[in-house]
Amino acid sequence: MSLRELKVCLLGDTGVGKSSIVCRFVEDNFDPNINPTIGASFMTKTVQYQNEHHKFLIWDTAGQERFRALAPMYYRGSAAAIIVYDITKEESFLTLKNWVKELHQHGPPNIVVAIAGNKCDLTDSREVPEKDAKDYADSIHAIFVETSAKNAININEIFTEISQKIPLLVTSDSGLKGLKLRRDQSDLTRERACC
Amino acid sequence: MASQGSEEIAEQTEEAEATHDGDCLSISPAEEMPADGPGDGEPEQLLLPWDRFSAWLHCICVVGFDLELGQAVEVIYPHHSKLTEKEKMSICYLSFPDSNSGCLGDTQFCFRFRQAAGRKSSLGCFLDHFDRDAPVCLKRDQGHFYGYVYFRQVRDKTLKRGYFQKSLVLISKLPYVTFFHSLLKLIAPEYFEKQEPCLEAACNDIDRWPTPYPGKILSLPIMGVVMKLRIPTCYDKPGTSQLVQSTSSDSLVSVVLPTIHEVDLFRCFYPVFFHIQMLWELVLLGEALVVMAPSPAESSDTVLALVSCIAPLRYCSDFRPYFTIHDSEFKEYTTRTQAPPSVILGVTNPFFAKTLQHWPHIIRIGDMKQTEMAKQMKVKKLKNLKTLDSKPGVYTAYKPFLNKDDDIIKQLQKGVQQKRPSEAQNAILRRYFLELTQSFIIPLERYVASLMPLQKSISAWKSPPHLKPFVQEEFMKTLEKAGPQLTSRLKGDWIGLYRQFLKSPNFDGWFRNRRKEMIQKLEALHLEALCEEDLQQRIQKHTEVETVDLVLKLKDKLTQAEREKLPVGAGTLAKLQTHIDSIILSLPEDLQGILHKPATP
Repeated sequence: MSLRELKVCLLGDTGVGKSSIVCRFVEDNFDPNINPTIGASFMTKTVQYQNEHHKFLIWDTAGQERFRALAPMYYRGSAAAIIVYDITKEESFLTLKNWVKELHQHGPPNIVVAIAGNKCDLTDSREVPEKDAKDYADSIHAIFVETSAKNAININEIFTEISQKIPLLVTSDSGLKGLKLRRDQSDLTRERACC
Repeated sequence: MASQGSEEIAEQTEEAEATHDGDCLSISPAEEMPADGPGDGEPEQLLLPWDRFSAWLHCICVVGFDLELGQAVEVIYPHHSKLTEKEKMSICYLSFPDSNSGCLGDTQFCFRFRQAAGRKSSLGCFLDHFDRDAPVCLKRDQGHFYGYVYFRQVRDKTLKRGYFQKSLVLISKLPYVTFFHSLLKLIAPEYFEKQEPCLEAACNDIDRWPTPYPGKILSLPIMGVVMKLRIPTCYDKPGTSQLVQSTSSDSLVSVVLPTIHEVDLFRCFYPVFFHIQMLWELVLLGEALVVMAPSPAESSDTVLALVSCIAPLRYCSDFRPYFTIHDSEFKEYTTRTQAPPSVILGVTNPFFAKTLQHWPHIIRIGDMKQTEMAKQMKVKKLKNLKTLDSKPGVYTAYKPFLNKDDDIIKQLQKGVQQKRPSEAQNAILRRYFLELTQSFIIPLERYVASLMPLQKSISAWKSPPHLKPFVQEEFMKTLEKAGPQLTSRLKGDWIGLYRQFLKSPNFDGWFRNRRKEMIQKLEALHLEALCEEDLQQRIQKHTEVETVDLVLKLKDKLTQAEREKLPVGAGTLAKLQTHIDSIILSLPEDLQGILHKPATP
C-alpha cells in the first residue's frame, strides 16, 4: 500500500478553535485553555483511505493578525485547506470569506477547501445559520461540516471527506511504490507481446 | 509612525513569549515520538521551553548596516540569548562580505569564531549526550561557534545608501553546514519580506523539533515545510549513510537532505584540482594554509572542503572559513615574529595578500572559467604572489611526500569532458580522499590496537593494567609488512609522511581520542571482571575496615561508569549495584545506614 503525504493547513480567525480541531483529530483530546498558536504548529496523522495511506501533514496556523502575512508559507503546496469559523461569531464567518478569496487568488490551483463551523455545541449563542454557511460552501464547491472539537463531532469526518476529494495519483507523477509496480508490470506485458 | 509600529511588535513579542512558556508544557512535541530523542526513559519530557531550540542553535541574529554605527546586531532571537560584546563584534564583522566586491543579490556563507571564555551552560550535560554517538567530525564544537549567514544586498532607492544590506545569521555549535544553509534558504527570504513575526514563528518551530540525536531519521517542520534528515553516527560505515528519498514529493511539502554536512568537494576544488593530493597532505599535516577567494561564499566552502578532505580523521587545529582583519585573532595569526600557526584561514580582503605574504602555502581562487583550468597544472612559486591580481593556483614550495596519482586526475578530467554531473564527480573525489585517508590511518589503528594489554592481564583485584606507550620507531617497523602499500597503490615517501604526521596536531588529537577510548575499554573490562568475582566469599576473609573500603571503591567505579558511559556489557552495572547492596547488608546496622546514603547529590 502506498503512502501519500498530504499537506493540510488550517486557516481562520483567532479563537475559532483551529488548534482544538487538530488536537482532537490527532490526539483525541480537548483542552479548554489552549494557548494562542505562535506562527503555526505542526502535527501529523496517518489514516487509511482505500488503497492508500494518507499521512496528513497538518499546519495549524496562528489566527492572530500579526502572523497573517505568514499564511502563504502554509497554504503553499497544500492539498487541502480547512477554513474554520465560529458559529457563535458572525465576524469569523466574514473572515472566512476573505480566506476563500485569498486562496482563490494565491493558493494552489487544485486545493481542496473544507469549511468547518466550529463550536456547534453552543447552539444557544449561534450567530451564523447553518443553511447560510452550507449555501455559501456549495457555491464555492467546498466541503462543509459543522464541528465541535469539544464534543468530538464531525472532526474525523472532515478529514475523511478531504481524503475522498483528493484526486487519485496519476501515473505520470509517479515515484510511489504502489504505482511503480503496476507500471513495471505493464512494461513487462508489453515486452512479452513484442517477443 | 514607523517607530511606533515596531514598538508595538516588540511588546506583542514579549507577550507571546510569556504565553509560549505555558504552551510548551501542555502540548506534546510535534512529530511522532519514534523520531524523537533517545526514547527509552530519557528525560525528554523534562525539557523546558527553549531547551530543544538550544540543542540546535545558540541564537539567531539579524545584522544590518547603520550609516553612523556601521555594522550592528539589530536583533537577537530568542531575546534572552546571551552573547558577550566581543562575540557580538565578531558576529557583526563576519556576517558581511569584507570588501564591496559585487555580492549583489543573495549570498550564503559560513564563519567560525572563538567562544568567550568561562561560559557555562546548564544544558551542557544534556547536549553532550547526543555527541556520544556522533562521528568525531560532527561533534559539537567545544570552544567555537559557527555562524551560518544569509546575506542580502539589493538596490533600494528609498534608503540613504541606495542599497538594502542585511544578514540573517544562525549561531550554533553544530558543524552541520549543509543543513543550516538549507534551513536558512527557507527562513531568510521569508524573514526579509515579513520581518519579526517570521523569526518568532521559525524559533517556535525549532523549539518543537526532536533533539539532534545521531542515527535517527528526524522530521523537522519549519515554515510550512518538513525537512527530513539523518545525523550520521560513529558506527556508520564511512562513505555510506546517505539518506535517499524513497518517494518523489513536492518541495513545498517536504524536503529530504541527503547530507547534513558534506560540501561539494569537486566544485570547491575545481579551480585547483590538479593539486588535490598535495592539498590533502597539507591538511593532514596541519600546515598553515590560507585560501584567498573573491567572496566569503567561496572562501568558506573551500576551507570546509579542505577540512573535510581528511575525514574520517578530524582536523584538530583551528580553521576559519571566513576570516577578516577585524577578527579578534587577527594579530595572533598574522604576526611575523613567530612561524605561521597550524590553521586554515579563508580570506577575501586583498589586504591579506600582503599581510600573509610570508605564509608557506597559499591557495588563490579567482573567478575561474573552465578554459583557464588546464593552465593551472604547475605549482606556483611563492615569490610570484606579490600583487593583488596574481593568478589563481596553489603557491607553495612544498614537495609532496607521495607520488602524484594521475589516475584520479584523468578520471575527473574525463568527467569534465563528458559533462558528468557534478554530484557524480563529487562522489568520485570524496571516495578517493576516503580511501587515501583510510590507507594512511589503518596501519596506525593496527599499531595502536596492539598497545592494549592482553585480556588475561586484567585482574579484578589489581588496578586495570596500563596501555603500552606509543613508540615511534616500533610503529615505523610495522610499516614494512603492514603499511599503506596493502591498501593503496600510491608510491612515495610514506615513512616521511608518517614522521611528519606524528608531529602534527591532527595526530595528537587522534591519538588522545583513541587513548581515551582504550582506557575506557580497559576500565570496562576491569569492571566486568569484578562483577564475575564472588565478593561475599572475599569479604569474609577481610576486616570490616577493608570491606567498607571495598564498598566505597565499588561505588566510585559505578559512578564513573555511569558518568563516562563506559562500554560495559548489558546488565553489568545492575549486577555491580546488587553486589554493593548485598555487601552492605552483611555489615553491622550502623554502617549500613551510612553506606546506603545515595551517592549522588
